[in-house]
Amino acid sequence: MRRLAIGGRIDRSQQIEFTFDGRAITGFRGDTLASALLANGVRLVGRSFKYHRPRGIYSAGPEEPNALVTLGTGGRREPNRAATTVELAEGLVAESQNRWPSLNFDAQGINGLFAPFLSAGFYYKTFMGPTRRAWMFYEHFIRKAAGLGRAGEEPDPDRYDVRHLFADVAVVGSGPAGLSAALAAGGAGARVVLIEQDFAPGGSLLSDPADAESVAWLSGMFARLAEMPNVSLMTRTTAFGAYDGNVLGLVERHGSGTADPKQGQARQTLLLLRAKSIVYASGALERPLTFANNDRPGIMLASAARVYLNRFAVLAGTRVVVATDNDSAYRAAFDLAAAGAEVTIADGRAEPIHELLEQARRRGIAVRTKSRIANALGSRSVRAVTLSEPGGPATVKCDLVAVSGGWSATVHLTSHLGVKPVYREDMRTFVPGKLGAGLFVAGAVTGGFTRGGSIEEGHRAGAEASAFCGIAKSVQQPVGLELTEIDAGSHDNSLSASLRSAPLPHFVRAHDGSHTVCPEHHRPDRSEERWFANRTRAGDEKGAKFAAGKAFADLQMDVTTQDIALAHREGYESVEHLKRYTTLGMGTDQGKTSNFHALSAMAGLRSMAVPEVGTTTFRPPYTPVAIGALAGRSIGHHYKPIRRTPMHDWHVANGAEMLEGGLWMRPWFYRASGRDVNEAYVAEMRLVREAAGLMDISTLGKIDVQGSDAAEFLDRVYVNAFAKLPVGRARYGIMLRDDGVVFDDGTTSRLGERHFFMTTSTAKAADVMSRLEFLLDTAWPDLRVSVTSVTDEWAAMSVAGPNSRDILAAAFPDLDISNEALPHMGLLEEKYRDRRLRIIRLSFSGEWAYEIYVGASLGTEVWCRLMEAGAPFGLKPYGVEALGTLRIEKGHVAGPEIDGRTTLDDLGLGRMVGKRSGYVGEVLGRRAAFSDPTRPRLVGLRGVEPGRQLHAGAILFRPGEPMQGHGLGRITSATYSPTLDVWVGLGLLARESAVEGAEIVAAYPITGQTVRARVVSPIFLDPKGERLHG
Amino acid sequence: MADGSTMTGFEMAADDCAIIQFEAWDGAMAQFEAELPRILGGPLPTEVGDTARHDSWLVIRVAPRRFWLLWDGPPPIIDVDPKLGCALPLGEGRVRLRLSGRGLQYVLERCVAVDWETLAEGRALQTGLHRVPVLLLRRSALECDLLVPRSFSKSLIEWIADAAAGLNRAIYASPRTDALSSAHASQRTG
Repeated sequence: MRRLAIGGRIDRSQQIEFTFDGRAITGFRGDTLASALLANGVRLVGRSFKYHRPRGIYSAGPEEPNALVTLGTGGRREPNRAATTVELAEGLVAESQNRWPSLNFDAQGINGLFAPFLSAGFYYKTFMGPTRRAWMFYEHFIRKAAGLGRAGEEPDPDRYDVRHLFADVAVVGSGPAGLSAALAAGGAGARVVLIEQDFAPGGSLLSDPADAESVAWLSGMFARLAEMPNVSLMTRTTAFGAYDGNVLGLVERHGSGTADPKQGQARQTLLLLRAKSIVYASGALERPLTFANNDRPGIMLASAARVYLNRFAVLAGTRVVVATDNDSAYRAAFDLAAAGAEVTIADGRAEPIHELLEQARRRGIAVRTKSRIANALGSRSVRAVTLSEPGGPATVKCDLVAVSGGWSATVHLTSHLGVKPVYREDMRTFVPGKLGAGLFVAGAVTGGFTRGGSIEEGHRAGAEASAFCGIAKSVQQPVGLELTEIDAGSHDNSLSASLRSAPLPHFVRAHDGSHTVCPEHHRPDRSEERWFANRTRAGDEKGAKFAAGKAFADLQMDVTTQDIALAHREGYESVEHLKRYTTLGMGTDQGKTSNFHALSAMAGLRSMAVPEVGTTTFRPPYTPVAIGALAGRSIGHHYKPIRRTPMHDWHVANGAEMLEGGLWMRPWFYRASGRDVNEAYVAEMRLVREAAGLMDISTLGKIDVQGSDAAEFLDRVYVNAFAKLPVGRARYGIMLRDDGVVFDDGTTSRLGERHFFMTTSTAKAADVMSRLEFLLDTAWPDLRVSVTSVTDEWAAMSVAGPNSRDILAAAFPDLDISNEALPHMGLLEEKYRDRRLRIIRLSFSGEWAYEIYVGASLGTEVWCRLMEAGAPFGLKPYGVEALGTLRIEKGHVAGPEIDGRTTLDDLGLGRMVGKRSGYVGEVLGRRAAFSDPTRPRLVGLRGVEPGRQLHAGAILFRPGEPMQGHGLGRITSATYSPTLDVWVGLGLLARESAVEGAEIVAAYPITGQTVRARVVSPIFLDPKGERLHG
Repeated sequence: MADGSTMTGFEMAADDCAIIQFEAWDGAMAQFEAELPRILGGPLPTEVGDTARHDSWLVIRVAPRRFWLLWDGPPPIIDVDPKLGCALPLGEGRVRLRLSGRGLQYVLERCVAVDWETLAEGRALQTGLHRVPVLLLRRSALECDLLVPRSFSKSLIEWIADAAAGLNRAIYASPRTDALSSAHASQRTG
């Protein structure tokens, strides 16, 4: 291997220093990591997944199965990057993976000796016993022995971004077809985004020599596109997924280690591109050949050898065997020979076309027909191949084996939306199936492997795509890359040029100038397919012996032909089952080089045609996407948006410990109340019971309900009646789901004959709003009702406690808040500084209390006014922990009881319905199953062991019963009651056991603690409501 | 409330936003559409997302039967016949974020799935910003308003400011021109 002095598309004036396994190496701007490694003679770059076999660089693109490396260090460590897609950057740190202690000496290379025991599915069979839990033991060791790279454990310091882009036409791929499509669509006036995964656009044209005709063509295309302000080219951008609505998922890489997160620069950006129309010009991938030891370093795809030579000026070997079953590899052979390599072609076909043979002969290339590789010799690097030929085996020494088993159209993206690819027999490849409106294909992805054809198809697809967007204008087609005619009698190099400009020369011109379109003997040959199938079938025959060594179908997952045969033998015949049983195609490369061979083999084993066997399902992503890119900026502080109440800053400034509830930040407790939450909530409870507390309740859901049918609407959505609720009064209401299970509760006040103000629980605010809109839109569109969320409109606070009326009177001396003017469940609508002010007298804590609503912008002002007015009365703020426990003492149900499983009767609320009918959930709420005696019932639980804590979540058992299973019920909420000086709780207990006075045992599975409690009324405090009414 | 921040090529200001919502009853739309313009002094927007300006009042059609009236200055007194529809003040619940500058599109691309290039001036649409429903109103070539729920406003301001963090470098470079120019140049020198 060596770097050539001239040629290639690298910039020799810009040297780049990088390291591989700690060794300092130099490359050039324009190199990939793979090309730089090859240029420096690095042939061994990794170890394989299962057998830890030495592996080299196999391809020059995203299909790379072998050369996976870990990039970066610390938090920037990124495993499993294909060296073939990594753009070389200054200071890049690369490390081989899956080896210990070193790449050259890997202790687990010994795995190869145990290969007979490590066949497909071995762990399913081997590690089943002796107990069901045994796998948990084995897994630790298996995971350590197998696998790919190791992720970093430190936080990633880099920034990742997400962008939304829009286009008329998106073109995926910037090869000849893609460029032509972009030109046609852009020329018509469409907004075009051209997407290229490589850091250089040009696609397959980049593998031509830098002095070829195609270079001038590319230059011309770029010049024309650069003049179009409506065309954007995105390099380093992979279209990894196609989604509904013509949305493409893209990931753009901004360079390794060059993005400064402190400057807001992203390392990668996830782009969601919404295009009216898409042209897929995603090209084709070369397939490998299968033979014993076909994974040895020094064996690579023929197209890759050509890319390294012509794009990166790296001659990957000096003694080269090109093994092929089709014409395309001849281009690699000719270019390698022209660069000075000694080349032998092993063509599996009986009769390659005469012109090719003649040109090979002129270049001094030996062509061996009916010749295929049986075995590769060498360990860490190939040193010879054994050829299987009609005359018997032959050995040819070499340091590079370039293989070509035909081409597979890159149908991944076109298949992501469920469009099954269809098989094109003449080209031996699957091509996109029938795509939806606005989706077009062009170039090699269609199975048309000529450049002239690709350019023509691209132009047509681009024009059609823009026309689909309503933008139609005739644009001159770019000059085609017409092939120089083959002059079989000529002795010049014209054939070389012609072959270079034809991606896959299944299409040539004859000496007389007429086209020779895929004559039978020039078609892709099926011999390799047959050979592979035969080989696999032979492996299926007990005792069959091949040439020594494994023949890999999937290089990355270490799946051999014998594994496929084994899967077939064991009944895993479907390609989907084959994939899962053998892990074929499940690596980071997703089987880009292996899938076709595997399904061909299975087709052979099942005596079926390839299309009958079908393909596995193509799913995003096409290439791996970093989790960081998917998360984008939604991490840490920005993980999710936060809701703040209007008084948020006051709480923080006054020592509130804040608690996340849903998206809301709420005061949990105030540090002035106690050293920790346990001390604080008890103090705050006492405050409310003995003086008064002020609570921020702005998080409650608030819904404005208006219209002439508003009362009727509420009658239908609540189980209890609202139609006769007087203006100026509030009522507690309960909603059911359609299935009769309790949905939510809240209070609704009547502001006017047609106007109501509904409150919901904090947690269910959005669900209730959505539910009301749904019912109005679908069930009762005839009702004249308008519902609008006004949660953010109002700051809300509750002043509760025996002093609350005095405090309110002091804060609003002009208001009449006497018992007569504002009775329990009464509503007062007033003005504060010319803004709306609502006061509702109701209580969640069981104390005399008021809810005060004021415009959000005045929330803090009113809060402070209350605090100031209430100070002489002992008013202090209290948090949600105290609120939650106050309501337990009062026996009020909340989220832990309304948990989506309980009915009205379960919660003791059945009496609210009376004889009403016509409300949501009524019909299914009357199901017999809801009256089953095993249904739970809400009970109070009072601890009988002083000082011992009841826990929410504890399971309830009868004393003396074995504590197994789900018991008789559970504690839903529990608290220490300072009023009663005992632990109390609410629970849901089977009705037959819910007898007041009975003793019950609460087992808390987290700590294994058991506590005895007595079943009592759920209302622990003030059962007659005297505190509320005065 | 007024808050704001300035970055190179991008400015953001937050302020209170006076809004009244009008809604017509189904079946009374024709009468409503005849009555409301009389009160507002000009025609209503015809399509969802359209806006109409009448002096200092801006009317946005936010849904087929819903309109938002935004204004600066003293609040208008508008009574809607309850037989035709209803009105509801919403100004306390929303904050207006005014975004402007050359970096506006850069920031919007990182915040909302809105095609700025095809969004006409004066058009409004409802979209999601950091998973929060907001209304975006394009005011001019380089200015827009986001009407965001008050409870989320601080969080969204921080989110937008974070989106603008990479602006200083990006605003002076056009990715399109860079990519194509360098591609062209590399062909010439290759």
